[in-house]
Amino acid sequence: MASDKHGRSDSYRVATVPSMADDNRTFDGVAKSRRKSPTKGKRKGEDLDDLKQELDIDFHKITPEELYQRFQTSPDRGLSHAKAKENLERDGPNALTPPKTTPEWVKFCKQLFGGFALLLWIGAILCFIAYSIQASTVEEPADDNLYLGIVLSVVVMVTGTFSYLQESKSGRIMDSFKNLVPQFATVIREGEKVTVRAEDLVLGDVVEVKFGDRVPADLRVIEARGFKVDNSSLTGESEPQSRSVEFTHENPLETKNLAFFSTNAVEGTAKGVVISCGDHTVMGRIAGLASGLDTGETPIAKEIHHFIHLITGVAVFLGVSFFLIAFILGYHWLDAVIFLIGIIVANVPEGLLATVTVCLTLTAKRMASKNCLVKNLEAVETLGSTSTICSDKTGTLTQNRMTVAHMWFDNQIIEADTTEDQSGVQYDRTSPGFKALSRIAALCNRAEFKGGQEGVPVLKKEVAGDASEAALLKCMELAMGDVMSVRKKNKKVCELPFNSTNKYQISIHETEDPNDPRHLSVMKGAPERILDRCSTIFIGGKEKVLDEEMKEAFNNAYLELGGLGERVLGFCDQMLPSDKYPIGFKFDADEVNFPITGMRFVGLMSMIDPPRAAVPDAVAKCRSAGIKVIMVTGDHPITAKAIAKSVGIISEGNETVEDIAQRLNIPVSEVNPREAKAAVVHGTELRDLDSDHLDDILRHHTEIVFARTSPQQKLIIVEGCQRMGAIVAVTGDGVNDSPALKKADIGVAMGIAGSDVSKQAADMILLDDNFASIVTGVEEGRLIFDNLKKSIAYTLTSNIPEISPFLAFILLDIPLPLGTVTILCIDLGTDMVPAISLAYEEAESDIMKRQPRNPFTDKLVNERLISMAYGQIGMIQAAAGFFVYFVIMAENGFLPIKLFGIRKHWDSKAINDLPDSYGQEWTYRDRKALEFTCHTAFFVSIVIVQWADLIVCKTRRNSLIHQGMRNWALNFGLVFETALAAFLSYTPGMDKGLRMYPLKFVWWLPALPFTLSIFIYDEVRRFYLRRYPGGWLEQETYY
Amino acid sequence: MQTKLEQEESVQEFQGFNKPLEKPWTQEWKEFFYNQEQGTVMGRNGKSWGRIFLFYLVFYAVLASLFAVMLWVFYQTLDPRIPKWRTDRSLIGTNPGLGFRPMPPAPNIESTLITYRGTDPENYKYWKDSLIDFLQVYRKPGLTPGRGQNIYNCDYDRPPGRGQVCDVDVKNWHPCISENNFNYHKSAPCIFLKLNKIYGWVPEYYNNTNDLPYNMPKDLKDHIYAVGRNSTLRLNTIWVSCEGENPADVENVGPIKYIPSSRGFPGYFYPYENSEGYLSPVIAIHFERPRTGILIQVECKAWARNIKHDRRERLGSVHFELMID
Repeated sequence: MASDKHGRSDSYRVATVPSMADDNRTFDGVAKSRRKSPTKGKRKGEDLDDLKQELDIDFHKITPEELYQRFQTSPDRGLSHAKAKENLERDGPNALTPPKTTPEWVKFCKQLFGGFALLLWIGAILCFIAYSIQASTVEEPADDNLYLGIVLSVVVMVTGTFSYLQESKSGRIMDSFKNLVPQFATVIREGEKVTVRAEDLVLGDVVEVKFGDRVPADLRVIEARGFKVDNSSLTGESEPQSRSVEFTHENPLETKNLAFFSTNAVEGTAKGVVISCGDHTVMGRIAGLASGLDTGETPIAKEIHHFIHLITGVAVFLGVSFFLIAFILGYHWLDAVIFLIGIIVANVPEGLLATVTVCLTLTAKRMASKNCLVKNLEAVETLGSTSTICSDKTGTLTQNRMTVAHMWFDNQIIEADTTEDQSGVQYDRTSPGFKALSRIAALCNRAEFKGGQEGVPVLKKEVAGDASEAALLKCMELAMGDVMSVRKKNKKVCELPFNSTNKYQISIHETEDPNDPRHLSVMKGAPERILDRCSTIFIGGKEKVLDEEMKEAFNNAYLELGGLGERVLGFCDQMLPSDKYPIGFKFDADEVNFPITGMRFVGLMSMIDPPRAAVPDAVAKCRSAGIKVIMVTGDHPITAKAIAKSVGIISEGNETVEDIAQRLNIPVSEVNPREAKAAVVHGTELRDLDSDHLDDILRHHTEIVFARTSPQQKLIIVEGCQRMGAIVAVTGDGVNDSPALKKADIGVAMGIAGSDVSKQAADMILLDDNFASIVTGVEEGRLIFDNLKKSIAYTLTSNIPEISPFLAFILLDIPLPLGTVTILCIDLGTDMVPAISLAYEEAESDIMKRQPRNPFTDKLVNERLISMAYGQIGMIQAAAGFFVYFVIMAENGFLPIKLFGIRKHWDSKAINDLPDSYGQEWTYRDRKALEFTCHTAFFVSIVIVQWADLIVCKTRRNSLIHQGMRNWALNFGLVFETALAAFLSYTPGMDKGLRMYPLKFVWWLPALPFTLSIFIYDEVRRFYLRRYPGGWLEQETYY
Repeated sequence: MQTKLEQEESVQEFQGFNKPLEKPWTQEWKEFFYNQEQGTVMGRNGKSWGRIFLFYLVFYAVLASLFAVMLWVFYQTLDPRIPKWRTDRSLIGTNPGLGFRPMPPAPNIESTLITYRGTDPENYKYWKDSLIDFLQVYRKPGLTPGRGQNIYNCDYDRPPGRGQVCDVDVKNWHPCISENNFNYHKSAPCIFLKLNKIYGWVPEYYNNTNDLPYNMPKDLKDHIYAVGRNSTLRLNTIWVSCEGENPADVENVGPIKYIPSSRGFPGYFYPYENSEGYLSPVIAIHFERPRTGILIQVECKAWARNIKHDRRERLGSVHFELMID
């Protein structure tokens, strides 16, 4: 049973895992949890189960001869060059087709016509229509409309191109992962060994693979010498599995004579025939399946769409209603069209989408520097809205390295140091018990350090050999120094390797003492099997008879270590009598001509893949941030639970149903599942659950561990979380994780251990494989959401002073106070840098101490933001603009009273002598100069009131005094917008180009009182927000 | 501080968000406009509407008063008779344009075309009435502010004193008088021209007959020579010339008579200082035999050393079209 599951029978894992399968029942045969197992439960993941079932091949079943026949190849000579070439032409290169990407031009068009661009295009087209009509009816058409139409088109194209470039830039990050090192394969063709690129392999090629290589295609093994592959990226099974020529299982994934594309050869060498290439490989199929899953919109994309709809709605509503009003007021329809254009231009925050892109890019960069590489810009924010993280255990939460955690000798359990930097507790290494134990561990061990790693710290060194043996090797290297020299001194004369029937390993050595003619026999293996072979036990430097008392002690220690989820090995040794086994005695491992009983029991050592140091802290941070962390692992429930406890996924004091049952000594079925906050759900149990029950578990337990889950079940879990309305982040590294990664709102792949396919399916890559980096991502994501709100609030505010001049122009019949070109100068010029600078704003409060946002109610742009920006701050700004307008008009001769109703005369080219309030008469040209000066002044005063708006938008609740002015990007923004405004106003030639006129210095000043008012008003508002949290003002104005 | 603590305590582990119920959009809209269950109109109930309405009422009232106060303060800096910025410092500049009367009716505000049928009194009535209207203040001094009490009979050697304004006598400008229908009935209409008033603008006259610009029409030059021979003082005049705009128009426009014959705006009207009852000097252009049935483009210019001309920008000049059937 167990061997079936693990594929490899000679693994220490088999030795240490109970041979009885975990059937989700307690020892007394009662189901571990009361959750019913409905038989009619629909299996959502059925299509994904196809991953395994669909694979319908017979290459592993047929005889080698038939195989050669089929591919017209031979084991010695391989394919002929001609045949290889023919096959290559027929099947194409042996590489995964990259997932279907949208063609670049489609992406470009999306940017060009998506969002507000469509509205602006309409504006531009209206401009061209208006111009062409004017051109055909009037002799000397004003170029204004043509000019504006061109400007609008350019604006759309430039912002579209900009967004497109930003997107594709972040998309290109992935390319660095592809084509890392070209893979090469050793192939036999026409009897010669040649090295070809892996892509050039074809069906029927005879390939040689040795340890360290990546398997270049799906192979049928025809020769193997100690060949082992690591299938973890394919099946999630982290144990290396041996591969040989025998056909052992119907299921191609289980049989031993197939090795799969993109898995790694860990040990030994092999020769195989290529049976499938590229996309037809098992790996290719899964990758294809993952790319077939559709991922919904990212949360931020939803928010932006919501926002665009809102603004477009307002623009269309205002535009159409004023178009009609203009008709009713008796304007010419062409005038009405021009009003429509003006309202559209004023209403659309042209620069905002580019601002959002830049803000996201900045955050993406910041995250990349903190080891979170974001593939998709929008994913930057997704982590911030994440409410559930489904984390893989191996490699993410743990170090992905078996490490000796505990030892038992001299009848006491000793804790070993499992930290990555050896900063943990040290233990006594001088006791005879430890010396004996360490000698066995060092000698009865086939693992070796790989060459060429002199400078590398012991724990980081790569080891050839089994993970458990590697753990022992490293532990011993740390405890006793150079293990290799110890082995050299104690020459190995015979060895009986590990196998699943014996569940032990024994080796016989000469001793280091040259005067001692005896041989040393050392043995390790499954503790109970080892104990069976012992008659004495070594305690406190003395050999004692192994009595019941000692056995009891052993059992307790074994159970305790096992309960920690650790893999326990027993160690014993024996000095062989020199009379029977003198030096030079021919030991025979096959015949076993040496004693393997009556050994001396020395101790136990237990191993675990220890959690990373930063993880418990990170999990705690996630919790305080209201994020649920669910562990989903293929590992054994006990191990999973132990790790979950040690990293805080199951917090101290929280019990599972089983724990409660054990504590109260009642059957599990009598425990109220609501009392248990934690749950450990077994994969077999999950298989029988319908979605309602799964929801029940997800909803009612705060601390959940899913153990023994298959890749398909990962997908079911993700879907279950999403059904609850959660935004789910999934971490994973294997190919088998890629469907879940794709399905998740944000898939997080591992940069070091992750497979290419998982990286492709993911939205984000943790460069250091460390769960703690996710917390950084969450923090950055939340911050950017807040800052985008501020940025949008800032940008939208200036819409009111932009629209209101048009409305006044139509309704009050005054000369236009602000032109379309100046509006564009604000939206695309002075407002851009300050809006972007808000992305650098520090968090107001501890953003990791609040709930994740509710995607259904916490919108990026809500009615309160609009009410603040449009209804309040925007109105003060508009007042400032109009005040400046009236001041300039009055100082030049037109008192406000005079202006109302003057519009038609003012805009008539025919009238060359329009009188003002002082009897002066103005030519068309002079009053237009005055009007454009007013536009410039209106523009400048918007810049001036935007100072206050920017400062006010820095915080949503705190006082500025609290927040400070430490955001230097923002301070620069203030200076920049002012300088730009001055530049536009005073540069010679601007009067011709942009119709911007130089202003008298005093005309900069009238807006200042309004700037001050905005600042004071908002400080007061925020004071009341803080004073009366949850009060009416907060409900109405806190965005 | 307390609020912060409360906030920290309130953070709970994520328990799941409830998706809002999916409703058909028609119902959603209906409920948005009027939700019977909650008694809300557009998402707010009466009380909520009242509060937000009151809030915005107060907010805008305060904003409006701020605006009003600032405007009032600003008004205190203005002089009711003298513009704050004048001539070069104002955007009005120092290059006055010309205005013509009668102007086309309001619906054709963009047009400068004077068109009528001389045989039909109803047809030219508009032009006549609009001229009568324009000249009313010149004919009845009591209509101007100050009721014409400070009118002074100026001449070149008798400029007006402080607070006095010069009289413009349009009564005996035959044939360009209302009693004569301004000669519209004879298809030889009179058009009145006036120079734009610019506060404090002082003309620099072409008072040296040897130094006239080369592009000045020859008849004007001759006129100036003639005037200059009689009296150099009378050269302190802003001269006026009218011509057809294109060679064809020059032909079509025919002979032009300027009334009064001084052919300009006498210098003693300047500078304009917004004195009570000030009247712009006007000049009547009598087209004696314009060709009928054809559109004639006419450009009139004012001539002084500090008046520049630009046809496109209508600087120092005015443009109108005549079309007489």
